Amino acid sequence: MKLRDRISSWLESKFIQAAASAALLAFMALLPLFTDNYYQNIVWNAFFYMLLALGLNIIVGYCGLCDLGYASKFAIGAYTTGILIKTYHWNFWATLPVSIIISIVSSVIIGLPTLKLRSDYLAIVTLGFAEIVRITARNLKITGAATGLIAIPRPTFFGIRLVKITHWYYVFLILVVIYIIISFRIRNSRFGRALAYIREDEDAAEAMGVNTSLYKLYAYVLGAVLGGVTGSFYAVKMTSISPGSFDFNQSVNVLLAVILGGMGKVPGVVLGAAFFALFPEFFRDIPVIGDMRMLFFGLLLIAVIIAKPQGLWPERNK
Amino acid sequence: MALMHVENLKMHFSGIAAVDNLSFDVQEGSITSLIGPNGAGKTSVFNCMTGFYKATSGEIAFMGTSLINIKPYKITEMGIIRTFQNVRLFKNLTVLENVMSGAHSNTKQSVFGALLRPAAQRREEKEILERAEHYIDYIGISDKKGYLAKNLSYGDQRRTEWARALAANPKLLLLDEPAAGLNHDEKEKLLELISQFRDELGITVFIIEHDIDLVMKISEKVIVVNFGKKIAEGVPEAVRKDPLVIEAYLGRDS
Amino acid sequence: MFTFWEIVLQQFINGLVLGSFYALVALGYSMVYGIIKLLNFAHGDIYMAGAFTCLSVYSLISGYMPGWLGISLAMLAAILASAILGYIAQRVAYRPLLSAPRLSLLISAIGVSLVIYNAVMVMTNSKAMFFPGGINKSTGISYGHVTITYMQISLLAAAFAAMAALTVFISRTKLGKAMRAIAIDTDACYLMGINVNAVISFTFMLGSGLAAVAGGMYCVYYGNVQYSMGYLVGIKAFTSSVIGGIGSIPGAMLGGLLLGLLEAFGTQMLGSSWKDVFAFSLLILILAFKPNGLLGKPEVARM
Repeated sequence: MKLRDRISSWLESKFIQAAASAALLAFMALLPLFTDNYYQNIVWNAFFYMLLALGLNIIVGYCGLCDLGYASKFAIGAYTTGILIKTYHWNFWATLPVSIIISIVSSVIIGLPTLKLRSDYLAIVTLGFAEIVRITARNLKITGAATGLIAIPRPTFFGIRLVKITHWYYVFLILVVIYIIISFRIRNSRFGRALAYIREDEDAAEAMGVNTSLYKLYAYVLGAVLGGVTGSFYAVKMTSISPGSFDFNQSVNVLLAVILGGMGKVPGVVLGAAFFALFPEFFRDIPVIGDMRMLFFGLLLIAVIIAKPQGLWPERNK
Repeated sequence: MALMHVENLKMHFSGIAAVDNLSFDVQEGSITSLIGPNGAGKTSVFNCMTGFYKATSGEIAFMGTSLINIKPYKITEMGIIRTFQNVRLFKNLTVLENVMSGAHSNTKQSVFGALLRPAAQRREEKEILERAEHYIDYIGISDKKGYLAKNLSYGDQRRTEWARALAANPKLLLLDEPAAGLNHDEKEKLLELISQFRDELGITVFIIEHDIDLVMKISEKVIVVNFGKKIAEGVPEAVRKDPLVIEAYLGRDS
Repeated sequence: MFTFWEIVLQQFINGLVLGSFYALVALGYSMVYGIIKLLNFAHGDIYMAGAFTCLSVYSLISGYMPGWLGISLAMLAAILASAILGYIAQRVAYRPLLSAPRLSLLISAIGVSLVIYNAVMVMTNSKAMFFPGGINKSTGISYGHVTITYMQISLLAAAFAAMAALTVFISRTKLGKAMRAIAIDTDACYLMGINVNAVISFTFMLGSGLAAVAGGMYCVYYGNVQYSMGYLVGIKAFTSSVIGGIGSIPGAMLGGLLLGLLEAFGTQMLGSSWKDVFAFSLLILILAFKPNGLLGKPEVARM
C-alpha cells in the first residue's frame, strides 16, 4: 500500500476520527482559560462564520442550489429577534421560535415559485431577494432605518446574564457542535442522500422517485432556518445590527467558504469558514495585501473551480 | 389487462412529430422491445411514459391508471423505473449510495426522520442499506461498492445503473438502449440478466434498442417504429420477415 | 408647476435614457447567455472598467482637443479596454469550464467579478473619480417644463446607433450567423468546421464593447464613476435581459428600455429609496411566472 493510501485509510477509520474530533472539541472548550478577550472574540467570529457556512452548506453543498443571498436569511433572524426584544420587550429565548417561523415562511414564499428555475436563475433570484430585504431594512422605521437597531439587551441563560465575551464564546461553540451534528445527520439519511442525488443529476434523481421540487424546498427552508437562528444569536451578541452587516459581500464571503471548503464536506466547510474569518485578522495590518485580499480570493476561487471543482477538501480515495 | 397500455400517443416538438399516433400494449410478465433506427422517436416514447415529456395527445395507462400529467417521481413510485441511454449515475457518490437511491421511491423518512432519528428511521435506513447491498451482489459488483461512480469503467457504470433500478423493486423496468457501448461478452451477460430480471424477480421488462439482433433473442414481442410511426408489431420472427421493416431498417443485413 | 402630462413626458425621457444604458449592458448578458449559457456575473464590472477607462483617457487628452473628439477617442479606448478584458476573462476563467456543470461557470464568473471589482478599488483607493468640466449638460430643447438636453439626445442617438449596428451585424454577417448557429447547437457547429472558440471569444468582446459604450455614456452623463457602480447596473441589466427573454437580442433592447421606463415612473410614484426594490421584485416576479420573458423561446431539455 502506498503511503498516501495508508494515511488516508488511517484518517478514514472511525476511531481516529472520533478521537481527533473529541480532542479538537476539548481544545476549543479549554481555549478561553488561557486566552484574553481579544483572541476569544476572533475565535467567536470564526464560530459565527462556521454557523453561516454550515447553514448555507445545506443549500449549496448538499443540494447544489446556488444561493447568492444568504445574508438575507440571517438578516431576517437578526431583525426578528432585534425588533421583538427592542420594540416589544420579549425575552430572547421566546424570539427564537418566531425567528424560525418567519424564516420558514419567507423562504417558502421565495422558494416555492422559483426553485423550479435553473440553478443560475435561482442565483439571481436569491440575490435580488437579499437586496430587497436589505433595502427594506434600510427604509423602514421599525428596523431602525440606516442606523439599524442599537442597544439590544443581552439575554440571560439559567440566571447568568450573557455579557462577557467568554459567555458568547461558549454559546456559539455549542451552536457549532449542534449545527455539525445536524449536518452529519442529514448527510447520512434518506433525506440527505436525496439532496445529493438532486445535486448530482436532477433528472436522474426525479427518475429514482425523488420529489425534486419538494426536496429542494426542504433544503432551502432548512438552510434559511439555520441562517435565521444564527442571525438571532448574532443580534443579541452584537447588541446592534444595521443593514450594512447584511450586504452582498457578506453573502459572497459565506458562499466562498462553502465552495472553497469543498461543497458539502462538513470538515472542509468548517475550515473554509475559519479561514475566511481569521484570514483578514492576520492580514489587516499589512497595508497593500489587506486591501487586496478579496482580489486574491477572486483569483483563488477561479483557480479552485477550474483545477478542483469539488473544492479544496480532499476527496475520498477510491 | 395489459400492464402498460399506450394509445394514439403523439409527441410534437415545435410542429415536428417525434411520436405519431403510436399504440401498443406491454403484457405483464413479458419482455417487450421497441426498436427502430436512430432518431425514430424511441426515447421520446420513453420520456412520455415516464412523465419527463408531456405528450401532445394520446393516452398512457399503467395498470389502468392514466399517467398523463403525472410527475416523473410519482410514476416511479407507482413501480415504473427507467434507465438512461447515456448512463446517468450520481457521479460523485459511491456505488452503494447510487444503488441506495433505488430504494427512495418506496421508503418514507424525510427531514424530521433525518434530524430526530426515531426508531422507524433507523429501521428504514437498515432496510435501504440491506436492499442496496443485496442488489449490488445480485448484479455482481460487490467489489466496487465503495468506488465513486465516476471512477468506474463504462461496463460497471451500466451495471450500477441496473442495480439501482432493481433496488426500487419495480413492477415494470424500462431499459433505454441497455446494450449501447457494451462489448460482445457484456452483451451476452446482459441478455442473461434481463431474462433473470423477469424469471427470478418477476419484473416486466420493456426495452428500447436499435440493435435488432440483441432484442430478437429475448423478446416475446417486438414493436418497430420509424419516423415516430409504428410499422410492425409481433413476435420476433414475423417482424424480421416484414417487408416494411426490412425496407425501413433491416434492408442491408437480412 | 408641472402638469400631469409634463411629468409623464419628462419621466418618459429620463426613463428612455436610463433604459438605453440598461439595454446596452443587457445585450452583452444576453449574447453571452445565448451562446454558452453563462450568466456572466462579471459583466457589470466590465462595464465599470469601461467607464473608468473612458474617464481616465478623457482626463488625459481633453486639454489638447475639442470636447467631442476627446469623448469619442476616450469612448474608443474604453471599448477597446473592455473588449480585451472580456477576452481575457473568457479565455482564462470560462473556456476551461465550458463542459463543466453550469454552476462552476457561474462561480468562476463571480471570481472574475471579485478580481475586477477589487483591482479597481485598490487602484482608485476606493474613491470616486469625477469627470472634468467643459461639457454642457443643461442646454437642450424645452417644451413647457419638459426638457430633453442635447446630451440626452446624443446619448440616445449613440445607444440606438450601436443597437442598430449590432442588429445588422447579427443578421447579415457571416460571423453573426455563426453566433446564432452556436446558440442553437454548439456540437453541430464544431462538425460544420466553425471555429467555435473564436466565435465565443468574439461574442465576449462584442458584449464587453457594448457595455463599455454604456459605461462611457454613464460617466459623461452623470460625471462621476466609482468602483462599485457595476454591481447594481449589472443586476438591472440582467433583469432587463430576463424581461426581454434572455438569449434574445431584440428582447434585451426592449427589456432594457422597459426597465428604464418602469424605474423612472416607479421612482416618481414610490420615491427613490424604493426604486431598487421595485426593480428586484419585478425580476423575481418575471422569473417566477414568465421565465422565458417577453420575446424568449422556451428551452426544450434534451434527455
